[in-house]
Amino acid sequence: MFPRLHFAVCFTAVLGPTLVHTLCPEAVNSSSLIQSLFPGALLNAIMHIFSFRVSDVLVCNETQRVSFWFVVTDPENTSELISGKDVERAVRISRNRINNAFLLTDETLEFLNIPPTLAVPAESGTPPWLIVFGVVIGVVGVGIIALLISSFIQKRRKKGVTEGEEEDCEEEACDKGNGVSHPVEEGADGVNRGFVGDIPFTKL
Amino acid sequence: PGEEYVSRRGPGPRPPLILCDPQKESLRMEKESRPSWEQPAQFVLACVSYAVGLGNVWRFPYLCQMHGGGGFLIPYLIMLVLEGVPLFYMELAVGQKMRLGSIGAWSAISPYLGGVGIASVVASIYLCLYYNVINAWSFWYLFHSFQEVLPWAECPLNSNHTGYLDECRKATATQYFFYRETLNITSAISDGGGVHVGQALCLLLAWMVVYLCIIRGIASTGKVVYFTATFPYLVLFVYLIRGLTLHGALNGLKYMFTPKLEQLANPTTWINAATQIFYSLGLGFGSLIAFASYNHHNNNFERQAIAVSLINSSTSIFACIVTFSIYGFKATLNYESCLERVKLLLLNTFSLAEDTINVDNITYWITELNKTHPNQFADLLPKLESCDLEAELDTAVEGTGLAFIVYTEAIKNMPLPQLWSVLYFFMLLLLGLGSMLGNVTAVTTPLRDLRFVTHYLSNETTNGLVCLFCLVLGLGFTTRSGNYWLTMFNDYGATFALLLIVLIEIISVCYIYGLEQFAKDIEDMIGHRPNWYWKIVWAIVSPLIIIMLFIFYIINYIMGGTPTYQAWDKDLGQSVTTPYPPYAQAFIILLLVSSIICIPLSALYTYCNRQRPESTISV
Repeated sequence: MFPRLHFAVCFTAVLGPTLVHTLCPEAVNSSSLIQSLFPGALLNAIMHIFSFRVSDVLVCNETQRVSFWFVVTDPENTSELISGKDVERAVRISRNRINNAFLLTDETLEFLNIPPTLAVPAESGTPPWLIVFGVVIGVVGVGIIALLISSFIQKRRKKGVTEGEEEDCEEEACDKGNGVSHPVEEGADGVNRGFVGDIPFTKL
Repeated sequence: PGEEYVSRRGPGPRPPLILCDPQKESLRMEKESRPSWEQPAQFVLACVSYAVGLGNVWRFPYLCQMHGGGGFLIPYLIMLVLEGVPLFYMELAVGQKMRLGSIGAWSAISPYLGGVGIASVVASIYLCLYYNVINAWSFWYLFHSFQEVLPWAECPLNSNHTGYLDECRKATATQYFFYRETLNITSAISDGGGVHVGQALCLLLAWMVVYLCIIRGIASTGKVVYFTATFPYLVLFVYLIRGLTLHGALNGLKYMFTPKLEQLANPTTWINAATQIFYSLGLGFGSLIAFASYNHHNNNFERQAIAVSLINSSTSIFACIVTFSIYGFKATLNYESCLERVKLLLLNTFSLAEDTINVDNITYWITELNKTHPNQFADLLPKLESCDLEAELDTAVEGTGLAFIVYTEAIKNMPLPQLWSVLYFFMLLLLGLGSMLGNVTAVTTPLRDLRFVTHYLSNETTNGLVCLFCLVLGLGFTTRSGNYWLTMFNDYGATFALLLIVLIEIISVCYIYGLEQFAKDIEDMIGHRPNWYWKIVWAIVSPLIIIMLFIFYIINYIMGGTPTYQAWDKDLGQSVTTPYPPYAQAFIILLLVSSIICIPLSALYTYCNRQRPESTISV
């Protein structure tokens, strides 16, 4: 019928060896925390998986190192054991509940030949780095545009000032003396007539 | 009516108006006169920011480890005094005297030497192309640090969620993140692969930041360097405190400071010390000449040269201390996890009680168990790891491997890893950005010296065009095989050319321009002549050292056989030494030759120009 199944459960938690009392072959006559806690907790955790009632978990061959084999019995016929594959599947599915029942983790509670499935990390919609990137590139872009605009405005202003000055001088010949440009009166012979009025008053 | 003196111009053609409007003239002079640093401190900080770069953090600790720890400081400091400071001083002197970028400055030294400046500009362009990609990586890591669980702390799961991805399991999570997520690297340089969009975006951002910092030339750069030069020291200091208080840091420091003086007998130690000083100060790129050309004529650069060189070397040593504390922490962590695994294995196999074995008596237990259960122990032996702290410390890593793999591994184990990660990558970013400012200025300054550029294009436009050019070409390094090309550029793009450039620089200053004339120019600028020490070092010692480095480099290249690179094998989960394919080797030769060929070509061009009978008289 159902083949005897063997699991080894190795605890790395700190539980000292004590007596265990089992129905298993090669039983060691000792009772311990394992014997009192484990069957009930494991049963609670996995019994919803089975379509039939399961009544008992018996602990066998407990070693000093807190590792042991266990079997699961059929309630109708206590000498019959539940199939290994079924129990394996049950343990795999409710691994989280089993761990929580003993306040242990995947690292501290190992079921041989049942590798734990790992939790998928939460995936967010936009990768977070893109958000930070967007902020930084926005700030830098605004900075560049601001600087470009301000230098453009500065240049405009400077060009306006120099253009204004140049306009005064462009139409007529300018005498650019002393920072003040004023138009020069010139006759056809090229004589500077600006001082014509002063000539009678000068004595050489 | 008083006695007035009137100048009368007689009849005749109207004389040209010689008198000018001073206001308009000063405006024109303002446009034409060279911009300068607002404060001399800005110049010093710019040089510090340029010289203190990623190499101080990731190359020097490696060399220290390879060449006998504390003992390496001896050749390092000797080379600093004999080679580093004098060459630095010389470049600053040339720049400040000639008040032109590298091309103009060397043309002024001798018309046949314009090619030296052009070679510097080409080397700087190569550097600009790939160096900013490293900054892009820093940005990538920085942005990825804003997560609850750092993405390089854990391997991603495989498809059926029973374990981790194969590639990640065989390598480590940090290596996986770097090679797969960051670079998405292919298995060989010939395997092109497309552009990695994330990298391309980060490179765009990196160039935008560089542009923002140089947009108005040194008016912008001068303000930015206050931050880029000083903030990394703050982070290094914080890391020093953090590093020294980590568990196991003292192991690393003890390892570093125990000098292995027998390494001093190895010539490679001295060669590496000289090479490190040389490249660490950034000589030969033209950046120092460019920075110094904006100085006031009487700026005392002698003191500044000594100060900057000393600051650069002390930063290297400081970074070394930080790195070795982190090394010590990481090695101790690995050693202790190894011991834990061995303990667990023993406890499980021999069904011992929980607290019988601990870290102190594990070796005792191993021998005991070997005696009492020899058969079981023999079965166990293949699974039993040997844990060795020295071996963990001996894993010397340099370059991007140190910065992005080893450091991140250490950071993920610190409490509050996000904070440390952000600080660290921000520091890397500032170090890289500071160096980039110097490199880009080395390219834009000679460009701005050209009349037609200044006439047609504004400062902002020239700088923008240079940044755009480098961005577009730099996108090639963001492809999946980009890291291999980057390593090629890093190894061959500027290394050889710089040695030749600086050799020609020092020889031309001493023997073509004349040491006496140079000394007189310096006296003119800072008020006193350089003393006999400088003259001897410039004329004899430094050229000899550079010639020695030069010969050594050539011998190494020829004897090295086919150049190889480290290709990432994703099936093995580690790097594999692979030879370059023929076209890549041809490209290496092209890289080596392309910058230095400018020197003879330009000399030839000038010579031909001078020979032509209708040549214009150059003023």
